[in-house]
Amino acid sequence: MARLKMQGCWSLVALLVVALILIQGVEGAKEKRKRPKKNTFIVNSAPINFSAPVSEAPALFTSTTYASVSAATPSATPPTTAFVPQSMLPQPTNWMNLVEPEAEVVGPLNGGGDTPLCANVVGLSAGQRKLCQLYLDHMPWVGRGARAGIAECQWQFRDHRWNCSTFQDASVMGPIHNIASREAAFTHAVGAAGVVHSVARACRDGSLSSCGCSRARRPRDLRRDWIWGGCGDNLEYGYKFTQGFVDVREREKTHKRGSREQGRQLMNLHNNEAGRRAVIKKTKVTCKCHGVSGSCSLITCWHQIAPFREIGDYLKDKYDGATEVRVNKRGRLQIKDPRFNMPTANDLLYLSESPNYCVKNLALGSMGTYGRPCNRTSHGLDGCNLLCCGRGYNTQKTTIRERCDCKFHWCCSVECRTCSRTLDIHTCK
Amino acid sequence: MAGAILENLSGRKLLVLVSILIISQISCFLIGGLIAPNPSSADIALASKCYDSGNNTDKWFYPRGKGQCHLLTQDDMKKLHMANQIVFAFQLPLPRDNMILDYSRWQQNLIGVLQFDIEYHEEALMAEKTLVTIDAKMAYRDKGDKDDDWKYYASSRETRTLECTMKEKKAGYYYSCSIVPLFELGSLHHDYYLLDLRLPVDDRSKMNNGLGQIVDIWLVAINQNGGFTKVWLSLKTTFFPIIVAIMIWFWNRVHQLNRPPALLEQMLLYLGCSLTFLNMPLEYLTLMFDMPYMPLIGDIRQGIFYASLLSFWLVFAGEHLMIQENENHSTLRAYWKHLSAVVIGCISLFVFDVCERGVQLKNPFYSIWVTSFGSNLALGFIILAGVSAGIYFLFLTYMIWQVFCNISTKRSSLPSMSGARRLHYEGVIYRFKFLMLATLVCAGMTVVGFILGQVSEGRWKWDEDIELEYTSAFFSGVYGMWNIYIFALIVLYSPSHKQWPQDAANIFAIADQQSMNEEIEFSRLPTEPSEISSLTSFARKTAVD
Repeated sequence: MARLKMQGCWSLVALLVVALILIQGVEGAKEKRKRPKKNTFIVNSAPINFSAPVSEAPALFTSTTYASVSAATPSATPPTTAFVPQSMLPQPTNWMNLVEPEAEVVGPLNGGGDTPLCANVVGLSAGQRKLCQLYLDHMPWVGRGARAGIAECQWQFRDHRWNCSTFQDASVMGPIHNIASREAAFTHAVGAAGVVHSVARACRDGSLSSCGCSRARRPRDLRRDWIWGGCGDNLEYGYKFTQGFVDVREREKTHKRGSREQGRQLMNLHNNEAGRRAVIKKTKVTCKCHGVSGSCSLITCWHQIAPFREIGDYLKDKYDGATEVRVNKRGRLQIKDPRFNMPTANDLLYLSESPNYCVKNLALGSMGTYGRPCNRTSHGLDGCNLLCCGRGYNTQKTTIRERCDCKFHWCCSVECRTCSRTLDIHTCK
Repeated sequence: MAGAILENLSGRKLLVLVSILIISQISCFLIGGLIAPNPSSADIALASKCYDSGNNTDKWFYPRGKGQCHLLTQDDMKKLHMANQIVFAFQLPLPRDNMILDYSRWQQNLIGVLQFDIEYHEEALMAEKTLVTIDAKMAYRDKGDKDDDWKYYASSRETRTLECTMKEKKAGYYYSCSIVPLFELGSLHHDYYLLDLRLPVDDRSKMNNGLGQIVDIWLVAINQNGGFTKVWLSLKTTFFPIIVAIMIWFWNRVHQLNRPPALLEQMLLYLGCSLTFLNMPLEYLTLMFDMPYMPLIGDIRQGIFYASLLSFWLVFAGEHLMIQENENHSTLRAYWKHLSAVVIGCISLFVFDVCERGVQLKNPFYSIWVTSFGSNLALGFIILAGVSAGIYFLFLTYMIWQVFCNISTKRSSLPSMSGARRLHYEGVIYRFKFLMLATLVCAGMTVVGFILGQVSEGRWKWDEDIELEYTSAFFSGVYGMWNIYIFALIVLYSPSHKQWPQDAANIFAIADQQSMNEEIEFSRLPTEPSEISSLTSFARKTAVD
């Protein structure tokens, strides 16, 4: 644990961790330092930002202790408001804005210095800008990860009223991020997951030379370390890097304890962590026997990263089961409804109800569902009834020509026939 | 064989010796567990997709360094029109912590395993079993060479079976495909390696026609850890001179007797020799020379050791049957029926090993398991070895059972025997029981250790701060144990000077005389092993008188 040394810039992150310790108390910090340890962070250890007498294991909290906490201050929860003036909100920008200048960042790799690139990206916070300069070669991969996250978000929400639409500004996700809703929780998680996925992958194809050997048994000099015990998994590097880069923007600000801003900060940190853990949770372990004559007296195992779609599906499940929380006076999060189970570090949290996505409200960031195609026969969310919010739909008969009976040939060709068919397209009024 | 040191050692001395051996055993286990890292580690590399404009099969494509290849993205791949234009390149080892790492010769060997990420598409379905043809080429480079100075190492066109299944068929998900073992390098002599793979398509021979949409290829490169090699070699270097010294001492002692060495003494010497061969730290040579045949030598060394250990057990049990008397000298030839099982088992394993590892010397991409004929042949040899192991153990248990039967009949008739005869039989029984106990403990510990290792997935934790590498501890512990076991056998079963006076006939005569008078007292003497030494000392005393 203590042996897992953070090097170089990690000391910067460590400073921020110290700041966090001041906010959250020593138990939380202990938990935090344990987390990057291989295998242990896969286990559902207690989330750090929960108000709880003991923060060791979630099983220790019973719903009764929780009920007593929230019963004591039932009226403290503010009523959910439908509209929050934008000026009050602290985060108009988003680091995911790195998606856009990605092409530029690939170019000059003059390693650190005060490159204008990092300064030009609007979405970055001060700490992130510093990390951007330090890890300039990581930025294309961070951008790629963010893009993958957004694409996954759009795929997962393709038949929801809110379809993860992006805006052409520094906020990327639009004003929707200002509301501490389930949707914001999902985007934070999927963005963090995208970066872990992308950085871990980049380590493995040799594009990032600074990926560390995660084993810290013999840390004096690396060469010996690598020869002595080999290098560990790069997933841990991806996890740590993302932890530093994504969480820094939440940690560099201090808010009044118990304020709504602080609650939002804790919520974002929690959801980022949930996203990172989703990548680790979805890895598969594969082993190979290579003992005498191929026997299993000697066996080596490794982690295999899951396709990002699988991680997206997992996070979507977590979105469906997200827990509503509120911030208490002590500056911790607690469950709003004590009947629900304690969320683990893998679960998503949100502070306020989602706005109405049926109608267009640009101030809120809702695009409305007008003009969205829907499925007339479906009873699910993509069904015309639900998607159009009861406004009804238009039907249009069209004939489309499409590829059919396709046969794929490695590597690069797909042989298809063209078929045409007539179908009804329904769009929301 | 009469009068081994074991019988003449006083209980206290034996206790001291045994506890020293146990302490050294524990230290072997701890050296492996606390100092050594895991025996091997895996480095996972993602293939860089290089673009080959023509069909430049002689050119080397590498993703890093000067003269690197043109890298393709996923979208670029769709625009290509020939499968041979994609070269999956792996440049090993991967850079870390802003350093370009290189392989050390301490890392001994390299095993390459491929993993395919194949995306599910309705258009690109894959059969459960698909044959993949891989054109593989390998090159190496050493420190100080130029970035583009790759030298040819090996190449081959290999066909492997890829088994891909899918539980829930969703677009964007990957098939879960079996791993494909690709190559095994017996020596890691060079600093950098490059592996270029192509998946050529030929419609006429249906080559690679069943492949789905391969998104990525991963190479898992497994090498022995340098730290483990160092600890392992230092264990070997410690045991090697000790066993050699004890063998010289033993053989000297045997030659001081005025009789030819008995069969068991010869067997002990064979056993010591095979262990010395196993202990010989030949691995030091790999630091200087390229020795790809090292794994084969290692397997042969291990095979010879096991063969001699198994034969020793058989002969030991046979020599303690107590049917024939020590007059006629038995030879190894008398045991040919029993030993044939050992010989057949070892030879079949040896042939299997030569088929696999021997061919790999020529072609590191070769595997006997790929073709059905080869895998049947390999399976045949392994089954043959297994059957002979079964026959051997049946034989051994039968013989041990016979010995125990004889022991019980002898024991009932012990009181009626003359003193010297009794001493002789008491000694035989004691020696046999001691070895049985020691062997059972050693074999049991090996088996239990192995099972524990499999159950606990190779990782044990007793404390947050003490991390014990269980696999390494198991290996060094077992290795140390068999060394200590054989050391103890050679020491304890070497002939004792004390019980071998100049005139052997004399003692018999005196003992016979004594036994007439002291029959009652003798019969009261317990037959417990620890008491034997006092018994023999008593006998000696009478002899001196």
